[in-house]
Amino acid sequence: MAYSDKVLDHYSNPRNVGSLDKNSNEVGTGLVGAPECGDVMKLQIRVNPVTQIIEEAKFKTFGCGSAIASSSLATEWVKGRTVDEALAIKNTEIVKELALPPVKIHCSVLAEDAIRAAIGDWKKKQGTEATEPAKVQAAQ
Amino acid sequence: MTNTFEILPQPSGQSSHQCWSCGDMRAALFCDSCGSLQPAAPTDYFTFFGWPRKLNLEMPALEREYYRLSRLLHPDLFANTTTQEQTWSLQKTSHLNDAYRTLRDPILRTEYLLRLQGLQVHEKPAGASLAAAAMGESKKGASSELLEEAFELNMQLEELQMNHKMGEHDEDLERQLAEQESALVAKLAQLDGELHQQWNQWDALANTDGLPASKILDSMVELLSRRSYLRNLVRDVKEALAD
Ligand code: FES
Repeated sequence: MAYSDKVLDHYSNPRNVGSLDKNSNEVGTGLVGAPECGDVMKLQIRVNPVTQIIEEAKFKTFGCGSAIASSSLATEWVKGRTVDEALAIKNTEIVKELALPPVKIHCSVLAEDAIRAAIGDWKKKQGTEATEPAKVQAAQ
Repeated sequence: MTNTFEILPQPSGQSSHQCWSCGDMRAALFCDSCGSLQPAAPTDYFTFFGWPRKLNLEMPALEREYYRLSRLLHPDLFANTTTQEQTWSLQKTSHLNDAYRTLRDPILRTEYLLRLQGLQVHEKPAGASLAAAAMGESKKGASSELLEEAFELNMQLEELQMNHKMGEHDEDLERQLAEQESALVAKLAQLDGELHQQWNQWDALANTDGLPASKILDSMVELLSRRSYLRNLVRDVKEALAD
């Protein structure tokens, strides 16, 4: 199957590969998988507690080229956005940007799921630390 | 043209219809009375072979039946018949081949049965769970453990592969990889054993609509997805060892 140039670019030169400290309160971790192909993807974000802006994002994907490219792109896209803005990212945008063929759509879904899972994890952490976000909101 | 037939959920049981040639009733492949080939009726693969939806299949019986039907339905036999019958023979032969290929593979067969029973296999795990939905619970917990495990194993394997590629062909590394391989293969065998148990439970059911049935189906879905992560790992470790 022929990959688009953009997929190849992200695949051979993936951005933001790595990991963040999953125990940090500022870090949200999303670990997702696609049972149809057995691929797994981990995406992590570090959120600035004051601005709610995602300052850092890392991923590690064991999967096909499209999954690697989708998660690489996802880390680029979430960086600099607020958590809520990042939640608005849709897999269809990834499909479009990377020109993924129909059989590879699930790879982009995996990336969207990973963003959501990471943000979900981060939100859960904030919930258990009710004092922090409350103070932030009061200050704004 | 391989998928002439609808393979998705059909009401179980043979559709009864009249033979187009002599007007007699209830012919499946051939009319019981006059022996004419019958039009392509959408039947699932189990029904096509005249079997119940059971997962333990005798391979010799499947093969025997496959060859017997192949001979009966072979397009060459219909060279001198109506074009209609020629088309039907082609369609049925292709359906037979699909059925055989699917049923002889234990995993494909299990997936096929799950789809027939209305489960979404290889969709999002959350959507696949009938019993869990009925009981208002989510299966997230189980599958996230599984993902952790798959991810960890992938990480370990990657490290080994990396060292391997860096030219560290030391015995230690080779040994670790080989150990990893046998551990993974053993895990896969264990999973297949579990799957077999679930087959037995399914086959023993009298009622395939109740909650016990959907619980078995759900655990099969879960097991198959665990299996697909593991299968990848086994493939990767074998690749690493072959390098
Ligand atoms: S083929 Fe499964 S994630 Fe791409």
